[in-house]
Amino acid sequence: MTTEYINICLADDDQDDRLFFTDAFDELKIKTKVSTFNDGVELMNYLNDADSVLPNVLFLDLNMPKKNGLECLLEIKKNENLNDIAIAIYSTSSSEEHIEETFINGANIYIKKPSDFETLKKILAEVVTINWQYHTSGLNKDNFLMRM
Amino acid sequence: MKVHLKYNYPQLTKKIIQDKLSELGYKFKIIGFGEFVFLEKIPTEKMMELTEQFQEYGIEVVENQKSVLVQKIKDVIVEMVNSEIPLNVKSSVHIAEKLNLSYVHLSSIFSEVTYTSIENYIIIQKIELAKQLIINTDMNLTEISIQLNYSSVAHLSTQFKNNTGMTPSAFQRIIAKRKEFTNKNNS
Amino acid sequence: MKDVQLRNSTIFLKIIFVISAAVIFFIAGITFKHITVLKKSSKWVEQSHNVNMELERLISYLKDAETGQRGYILTNDKSFLTPYTESKTLIRDSYKKVSALTENSRTQQANLKNLLFYINKRQNYLSKTLYLTQQENYDKKILNNYLIIGKSAMDSVRTKIENMMSTQQNLLQNRQEDYKSTMNYTPLLIYLTLLVTLVLITISFIKMNRDLVKLRKTINTLSVANEASNLAEVVGGFGSWQYNLETNEYNFSDNEYRLLGVKPQSFKPSLEEFLKFVHPDDIQYVIDNAKNIPTNSILPPFTYRIIRKDGEIRYFRTLGRVVTIASGERTHIGTTSDVTEEVYANKFIEDRNRELESNNKELTAFNYIASHDLQEPLRKIETFLSRLVTKDYSNLSKSGQQYVTSIQSSAQRMRILIEDLLQFSRTNKTEKVFEDADLNSLLENAKQELTQIIEEKQAIIESSELPTLKVIPFQIQQLFINLIGNSLKYSKENRTPIIKITCSKIVANDDEFLPNNNMKYHKIIVEDNGIGFDQEYVKKIFILFSRLHNKNEYEGTGIGLAICKKIVENHQGFIFAKGVLNQGAAFFIYLPID
Repeated sequence: MTTEYINICLADDDQDDRLFFTDAFDELKIKTKVSTFNDGVELMNYLNDADSVLPNVLFLDLNMPKKNGLECLLEIKKNENLNDIAIAIYSTSSSEEHIEETFINGANIYIKKPSDFETLKKILAEVVTINWQYHTSGLNKDNFLMRM
Repeated sequence: MKVHLKYNYPQLTKKIIQDKLSELGYKFKIIGFGEFVFLEKIPTEKMMELTEQFQEYGIEVVENQKSVLVQKIKDVIVEMVNSEIPLNVKSSVHIAEKLNLSYVHLSSIFSEVTYTSIENYIIIQKIELAKQLIINTDMNLTEISIQLNYSSVAHLSTQFKNNTGMTPSAFQRIIAKRKEFTNKNNS
Repeated sequence: MKDVQLRNSTIFLKIIFVISAAVIFFIAGITFKHITVLKKSSKWVEQSHNVNMELERLISYLKDAETGQRGYILTNDKSFLTPYTESKTLIRDSYKKVSALTENSRTQQANLKNLLFYINKRQNYLSKTLYLTQQENYDKKILNNYLIIGKSAMDSVRTKIENMMSTQQNLLQNRQEDYKSTMNYTPLLIYLTLLVTLVLITISFIKMNRDLVKLRKTINTLSVANEASNLAEVVGGFGSWQYNLETNEYNFSDNEYRLLGVKPQSFKPSLEEFLKFVHPDDIQYVIDNAKNIPTNSILPPFTYRIIRKDGEIRYFRTLGRVVTIASGERTHIGTTSDVTEEVYANKFIEDRNRELESNNKELTAFNYIASHDLQEPLRKIETFLSRLVTKDYSNLSKSGQQYVTSIQSSAQRMRILIEDLLQFSRTNKTEKVFEDADLNSLLENAKQELTQIIEEKQAIIESSELPTLKVIPFQIQQLFINLIGNSLKYSKENRTPIIKITCSKIVANDDEFLPNNNMKYHKIIVEDNGIGFDQEYVKKIFILFSRLHNKNEYEGTGIGLAICKKIVENHQGFIFAKGVLNQGAAFFIYLPID
């Protein structure tokens, strides 16, 4: 991955989860730039801003006030400019129907928030790595589906 | 009316490169997949222009030697995975032979550049192909596992699940539902 | 007895009556004719008899005259001449009588004339003889002559009379001949007709008797039916009414009155009277509906309130329709039911339902939120713990390290419990779609989900062909996952786990587990060769949170099989288990074939 940074965004209203997230990436060897947002509105404002650096991977919590993860997902998918972003839903729910729904609506990855920090690191590393492979090897992003 | 497409990437990229280079007007020769040589000197701005044009197609001009090698390794792997002829030798041996370098050497450079191992990359490519076959053909899992040189369907399922976190059938179902959903929204 | 039958009977009887009358007249006619003939015949006989008698008398008188004369001649006693003198008149009278009697017959009249000649001759010679003998001296020869002539005349008379008598006999016979035929067949005809009449009368009798019996039976049945219907009205709490479309009059049954709280037939049945009982708010409604009674052939049911005489409010439902009775008259008949209980019960049930529904929603929401929202803080606890362990484990004292480890394992256990609970609460039936699914693919999916453990344990899973059923696909898949997962978890060490899944169609009656009825089921058996369980505890294993092993031996929450049971029950099926310690376990799933 040479000297390039991988841009990561996280939208989550929970302070602790944001902390876990950024700590995890800090400890990973991958070169990343992580930005976090407190809710869906903040996130969409950022993404829709022409000057913003778009992330390679976006982690979306589902349960957020003002605008929840699903609404953001749908909005992003409708926006052609944001098509290149790999979207990972980062949530506590384990309902099969929920999970399938997010995939059907266009998410690439679904991550159930783990209860162990090391596991979190592993998952995030794998997601980012695989995404990078898709990015560099010209693989079909439409078929990029992962469930952790 | 729905139209399904299948891409022959080597052919695709070759055509683009040919067209673009011809447009540029400088003499060139295509040596191999992802490699060509200018037969005359080319000014830097033209080179930059070309680089920019290539970027529009997602074609990157690789500057680094190591990156070049990694790209070659990837090409070999893609060809190997996509060929329907089963290998007689281990993939590591095959790659080493093809590129005329030791596998250890290749391995270390690959990991350094891509942050993943050759084995892992092979698996990624295989699963990728499996996904395509699942979506675009009527082949069942047994047939797919045979074509991709898996020892059994279970082996394919396991790898698929390890790689994507879901079973091949779940994958198939979700892709189908997704298509339905997008069709509904587009119509 | 149906109206048609009745009409037929009447016609039949009328016909029989006419035939009988005709027959009787016929018989009367014949009899009259016969009697007339008989009368005539006897008249002829009498007449012939009289003629003969008179002729005999005639001869007798002549003989008397002869005898008298003879006696006188012999004795010269004048007293012997009395009959002789008397005879003249008698003979003349007798002759006149015979003449009168035979005036119809020319033959006889001719004969009579002839006879007269001879009678006269005889009488002549009698008187001549007499005159002669009255002389002092007479010639015996002349006397003899006279006597002989007289005798021959007498002979002629006798012959003539015999002639006449036989003629009379012939006459009689001829006359009789004419009427013989009549005489002969008349009795036969009469007997025949009499017989026919007898038969007809018997038939009519039998028919009328039968009709009467039928009629009686019908009347009985009607009476009973009427009584039964009255009783039914009382028991069923409804009344009936009739509206005669020809006369525009109402008729209320007794119970119709009782329903209103008044004595039967206590007022003249009419709509106005009825409306007096209807709740003021519903009067217009009832009027609007009752408008249909004279005009429409069907009165759909409508419900309204009435206020009984004692002030109690009841709910009534009225409906009716037009029937055409036997005589062709059209009547609108209907019933009025007291549906108060039903209305209140419905209201009650509706209220209860609403209560239950909201309760249910609350519970489901509670269940879900509890499980879901409990996971959050728990996850944080676990994550922070893991951070703690990673970063500061070495800084903790020995006991501190132990405590942290214990906290971690408790937290983990709690998480698994909540996850399982969440899954259990999700296994409900409402809002889930039943669709046709191939159980073989569901089984395949389940096997795929468990690929890792299957590989790890080198397990062999054999299955026979499973059917396609209308199910909640994901739940059946979960069922397979849980059962096969269990079989794998509780496999015997050092023994390759073999899990067999078989399916067959059975009838409830024939099965050891199912209740005795004729319902059909698919019977799916999942059996393994794992550690099994003691059959004694078979009922416990499906109970929520009930476990047969403690958490140190085998991990688990005791929810998996409860989830299986719930899934099977969602599909109107059953699940049972059989186990043998150290040999294996088998689970029997029954899904109905509808």
